[in-house]
Parts: sequence; structure tokens; C-alpha cells
Amino acid sequence: MRAFRTLLKIECKLSLRGMDMVIFAILMPVVVTIILGAVFGNRPAFEGASYSFLAQSFGAVSTIAVCAGGVMGLPLVISDYRNKKILKRLKVTPVQPGLILAVETVVYALYSICSLLLVYGTAAIFFGYRLEGSWPLFLSAYVLVIVSMFSIGLMVGGLAPNTKTAGLIASILYFPMLIFSGATLPYEVMPRVMQNLADIMPLTQGIKLLKAMSLGLPAGEVFLPIVLMLSIALICTGISVRFFRWE
Amino acid sequence: MKEKCITIKAEDLNKSYNGVKVVTELSFTVEREQIFGLLGANGAGKTTAIECLLGPKAFEAGSIEVLGMNPVKERRKLFERVGVQFQESAYQEKISVGELCEVTAALYRNPADYETLLMQFGLSDKKKSCVSELSGGQRQRLFIVLALIPDPEVVFLDELTTGLDAKARREVWRYLERMKENGLTILITSHFMDEVEILCDKILILKKGLTVFSGTVKEAVEASPAENLEDAYLWFTDEEGTNGKEEQNHESL
Repeated sequence: MRAFRTLLKIECKLSLRGMDMVIFAILMPVVVTIILGAVFGNRPAFEGASYSFLAQSFGAVSTIAVCAGGVMGLPLVISDYRNKKILKRLKVTPVQPGLILAVETVVYALYSICSLLLVYGTAAIFFGYRLEGSWPLFLSAYVLVIVSMFSIGLMVGGLAPNTKTAGLIASILYFPMLIFSGATLPYEVMPRVMQNLADIMPLTQGIKLLKAMSLGLPAGEVFLPIVLMLSIALICTGISVRFFRWE
Repeated sequence: MKEKCITIKAEDLNKSYNGVKVVTELSFTVEREQIFGLLGANGAGKTTAIECLLGPKAFEAGSIEVLGMNPVKERRKLFERVGVQFQESAYQEKISVGELCEVTAALYRNPADYETLLMQFGLSDKKKSCVSELSGGQRQRLFIVLALIPDPEVVFLDELTTGLDAKARREVWRYLERMKENGLTILITSHFMDEVEILCDKILILKKGLTVFSGTVKEAVEASPAENLEDAYLWFTDEEGTNGKEEQNHESL
């Protein structure tokens, strides 16, 4: 436990020193919240909607950090530490090398949680936002999205042969998902064709789930996203455990 | 007389990559409070041998015991008592000297006090510096500190002095001798014969994975037509390609 705590403390410091996650996971979601709030105000999401545009987007914006940590941060740090032989070095110590993976997962989960709190705080204080649905359900869905997005990151980081490939795959996953899954650009304003394309992205499904939970919409439409998220988590975790490269 | 105590024991170790033998029939023992030198040219199999000894690399045949333990099966117990420094040392970008020591110490149950170690190795004032900003000599000293943090009985040091200037190398030697006096068993790899001559109680010379000599420095010189270790080493490994010694039956690439 002492190893875990110390490693977590130092890895958090190192990550903050890097600044990337501070910008992409902490500042960016807050900025997007402010823009959405300022542009659309508390206008209804569509004519006759019972909820505002911002309320509709809350779930989506809260996943920006999950996306940055899961498919960008995690794969990069894992392949970097493999490349620097940090993973191999741990094999000649009394701790399991998997400890560092657990620590990194927690680091990025902490970013996601901070981001969620900040986005909620910003929306609530400046734009009077309140979560209509149930908090426990919303948080459960949020955890599910984290688990499935992080499992993708662990798989990419665990399998990519070098840092360059890891960076490339991470970019291919991150940028389209960030823009087209609805995390930044609202899914609801996309044309039909684009929405269909967006639907194949796992994060889009996660966002639909969060949207339903945050608005307290009927549970009927969430079955597919839940199954999909769970399957991704299981498959990717399975593949990482089986094929993870330590060196 | 003090009873001889075997710290590291390798028997008939074999390792190959894609059918090419990298280490063949490697056997040796290292006693307590000895400095053992594993020698050979680049690519002779020194690093592979160390990685097999320590467990990260699986080997095909043979057996290994360090402090009477199997490095793979009793990994967690063994590495409480063994310090390791690999050739390319592994640390996070932007990590400071103090942080790297703190995190290393946290991996062990009863670590040595790293503040004291840093002081002994003249690095106390570098605690807040980034590891990547240290000079070559400072960094190698730090790596010795890291290998000593477990408060080990055995340390493995892979090419510790490569890339250091003459003065820094001398400094490292002094530290190694002091460590030995404090009761440590040390296994080093090196291709500098001057330091091997000064430091090592026993040596083993590898050539393309084959053991071409095993014994003391004195024995090595005596067993060859040469007059010093450097010439003897070259004779054993035939790097100059001048002696008519029969080619060993190693598999060529």
C-alpha cells in the first residue's frame, strides 16, 4: 500500500508538471461548458423540450476528460514507461509491475473526477444547472464510461510496439472521438449522416447513456449503450491482460 | 577461516533467440563479499546473462540461485535483498533525484535511508534537480544509490562506468570497494580491463555466449601468453583475430 501511495503521489506530480492533462482534461471541459452556456444560455434543447441545451450537453462535456485520459494519456504513458524500461525495472523489485498500471489508471480517473466536479460547478454556479436525473445512476454510468474508455487505452498502450505507434493510434482514437462523438460538438446539432457515423464510436454510446441518466429520461433507450460499453471493457481488458508487452 | 558462502550460483545456463544461441552452458559461482566481473565484447551475451540471472528473461535450460532462492519463483522475497542497475537506467521524464529515491524506497519493506546514501555519494545538494540534468558521473552515482536503496546483500551493476570520464570512473571504483568492505556481493559487467583488474576478485569472459575463461585475474594472465589482463582478454576473445587458437564450435549468425 505504501508503494502504491508513494507512486501515486509522484506520478500525479509528474503528470501535473507535464501540463497536457491540465489543459485537455481540466481547462478544456470548463471552457466548453462556458461557451455552451454563453451561446445557448438556458434555451430549451429543441422546441418544446423540457430541458435546456446546456442540460442536454452536460453528460457529453463531462466525458472530455475521460476521453483525454483514456485514449490519449494512458496509452502514451504506458508505452513511454515500457520504452524507458520502467516496467522492466519493476520486475526486479519486490512489487508487481502491474502496480504502475493501477497507479496510472487512478491518476487519470482522478483527472476525470476533478473535471466532472468543475464542469458541474461551472454549469451550476454560472448557468443555474441542476441534474434532473438521479446522481447514483449518473455516477454509475460515468464509472462505466471511464472503465470502458480506459480499457481501450490500456489495450493500445499494452500492445503498441513503440511510443510512435502508440501516439499515432491514440491520435486516431482521440481526435475523432473528441469532436464527433458529441463531447465537444453537440451530437444533437449534427446532420443525420454525421450522427450515423458518430454512432459507431464507443464514446458516443457512453454520452447517450450519460445524457439519459442526467436528464432522467426513460431507461428504455439505454440498454444498447450499456451492453456495448460493457462488451468493450471486457474485450479490451481481456486482450490487454493476454497480450500485454512488458518490454 | 571464514566459511565460504555462495551468493550467486548459475549452472549450465542456456538462452537462445530465434534458434541462435546467445548464452551457452554458462556456469559460475560468486561468494559473499566478492566482486565478480562478467566480461566480454558488446553482444557477447553479458546483459542477456544478467537478465536471465535476475528473472526478466526466461532461459531454456540450466538453473540459477541467488541467495539460495529462485529469482522467478521467489521474486518478491529475493528482490527485497537484491539491488539492480540495468545498462539503460529507467526513470520517468522530469522526475527529480529526491522523487526517484523516494519512489524507489517505497517499493521495499525495509529500505536504507536514501538521504544518507545521497550524502555518502555526494548528491545531497542535487535532491531537487531533475535526473536528466545531472552530469554523467552524477547520474551513475545516483544509479548506485538506487541499487543500494533496498539495503541489499547482492547488487548487479551492468556497465556502470561506460560513458564516464577517467576521474568519474575512479570515483565509482572507490565506492564499489567501500561497498564490498561493507559486506556486499557485487556482480558487474564491464569491458574496461583496467577497472576489472583493480576491482574483481573473479572474472568470467564470454565470447559469443561461450565461456572462454573463468577464474581470477592472475589466472587469466597466466593461462594466456599475455602479460597483462587487457592482452589476455584480447587473446581469450581473439578480438584482434591474430592468434591461431582453434575456433570454438559456436553457431554463427
